[in-house]
Amino acid sequence: MFDIYMQAFATVLMPQNLIAMTLGALWGLLAGALPGISTSMGVVLLLSFTYTLSPMTAFVLLIGAYLGGITGGSITSILFGIPGEPSSVPTVIEGHSLAKQGRAAYAMWVYLLCSVFGGLFSVFVMILATPLISNFALRFGPPEYFALTVLGLSVVSGLSGGSMMKGFLSCFFGLFLATVGTDGITGEERFTFDTVTLLGGINFVVAMVGLLAVSEIFIEAEEPFKEYKGGVQYRGLLKEMPPFALFKKYWLTMVRSPIIGTIVGALPGAGATIAAFLAYGEAARTAKHEPEKFGKGAVEGLMAAECANNASTGGSMTILLSLGIPGSNTTAMLVAAFMIHGMQPGPLLLTQRPDIVYGIFVAMLLTNLLLLVLTGISIRLFLELNRLPYSVFSAAIMILCVIGAFGLNNSVDDLFLMFAFSVIGYFMRKFGVPVAPCILALVLGDLAELSLRRSLLLSGGSPLGLISSPISVILLAGALLSIVYPLFKKPKMLNGV
Amino acid sequence: MKKGEIVFFAVCVAFFGFMFYDGLDLTSHGRSGEIGSAFWPLIALGASALFSVVLLISSVKKFRREGAAEDLAPEAVVEKKRQRITVTLSVVCFLAYLVLVPWIGFILSTLIYIPAFALALGERRKWVLLVSPFLLTAIIVAVFAKFITIPFPKGVGIFAEFSRLFY
Repeated sequence: MFDIYMQAFATVLMPQNLIAMTLGALWGLLAGALPGISTSMGVVLLLSFTYTLSPMTAFVLLIGAYLGGITGGSITSILFGIPGEPSSVPTVIEGHSLAKQGRAAYAMWVYLLCSVFGGLFSVFVMILATPLISNFALRFGPPEYFALTVLGLSVVSGLSGGSMMKGFLSCFFGLFLATVGTDGITGEERFTFDTVTLLGGINFVVAMVGLLAVSEIFIEAEEPFKEYKGGVQYRGLLKEMPPFALFKKYWLTMVRSPIIGTIVGALPGAGATIAAFLAYGEAARTAKHEPEKFGKGAVEGLMAAECANNASTGGSMTILLSLGIPGSNTTAMLVAAFMIHGMQPGPLLLTQRPDIVYGIFVAMLLTNLLLLVLTGISIRLFLELNRLPYSVFSAAIMILCVIGAFGLNNSVDDLFLMFAFSVIGYFMRKFGVPVAPCILALVLGDLAELSLRRSLLLSGGSPLGLISSPISVILLAGALLSIVYPLFKKPKMLNGV
Repeated sequence: MKKGEIVFFAVCVAFFGFMFYDGLDLTSHGRSGEIGSAFWPLIALGASALFSVVLLISSVKKFRREGAAEDLAPEAVVEKKRQRITVTLSVVCFLAYLVLVPWIGFILSTLIYIPAFALALGERRKWVLLVSPFLLTAIIVAVFAKFITIPFPKGVGIFAEFSRLFY
């Protein structure tokens, strides 16, 4: 075990990987800090850079962007009161209030240290939990895989936003898209309309780029020239360093919040936003020191939110690496990266490519530490970049999208497919139909269908074969619960009224 | 928005209905115990069509309940119109770019696209419109065509000759 980690450290510390980690983290910080770009969009845009890279360098780059994005979301939250990421909303409430009181550097310190602490905590949990879950999941057969994919798809409730009905529509649309192309069992062509482009199916990188990135630019185009006003004065980090006693005072929050973040991150569909809000809510509910300050610049609230949103990354990655289930948009992008490099995340990955899995562990560990330094020294740069004209910035993003879709197969047809998805994505967003369930279903759809058909073949066509093992029963029950429970708790969520 | 929502879900019903009809031609049964290639897509399409119908009905009900007329202030109407024009222009610019790329090559189409897209979004500063296309195109060609060696389309005829000067 020690040898594997030493090897992983040696690989990740190679110059090209260190450069990739730094560039990825910087790009992630930028994507997170700019309100027009989400972390998942930042990762999508980087995919095109990874085509010719070695798998390890590619993952180091993408992990850098993923962790950087989650961390960077809070820079503009504290200094401008604009959440770069939805998970940074509690940070806006407390962090920006602190900044307005003239304590911007103090808030930045708390945010930075807590982000890194939360991230590191979850990486250690990931290192311990991934091999255990993977070994357990090696016993899975087609019925268990089918149940697992259903559980993965059941996160629609978490990704639906206001209306579950619209979330289901998006999810089934994604499942349909996953069936386009040649059938994996019979070889029959499905919905190809005799075109060669669709014969191999809809490449989900192309679909993701269109649905997620390009459509976001079209939505943003409705409100050009964002001018960030009301920013607070930022004099530099060294001006106001918090004492160690502060973290000792709030030790319970510092312990509880990363645990909440890691667990919530591991739940498919929950992610950083729910983790941050839950930990923030828990901190507010149990606050012993200055509870009246919540909403007006409570350091404890800022700590809780930052520890939890960064800790969610380790939880999400654990489930992705051990079970192959992407719990969020960003981890779905990482599935695409695995596939681009000829791998399938899941229990077999640890036995087939331990170098990659342990390399990812080490990369996440080092990226968290690197982010402490990078964020500290680059805050001013990101603040200046925030003033760039959005028109040119969005044109550059569009070109990166074009390169991402084209570079996959060097096919112009893919560009038009991406365009079609961008228009679909625009209208979906416009009318409140979330795109995340569609992307998740597109990623998981193929596996779900194949495992269902294989299960039925094994059981001679009997549907009872799907619930033949306790694992599949538990997983299917979990899926049912995750759909029914939110409806039971908030029935209006079905229609989103 | 309300009318648009009705049209959107009506299009969804028509699309999923048509695809469902098309999917009926697929093989529904295979060997013993095999469910065939039609089963899964028909479930996905059937459910999509069903949800679209329900959402269409609820949109129509909402439309009837709340009335067709949206009492928007004149400024809001102007703003909505501006939004529509901006989005339409940016979509058209992007489509034109994708159409142009294979014909005139990546470099020239990108040089045209960047200022056109920026103009569509409302950018009017001359230095931004003049400098950024050259700067961005140079960076992109250097990184992707030279460093990562993605074989961008070169265009046809004289445009291909021009592209070959750079990559």
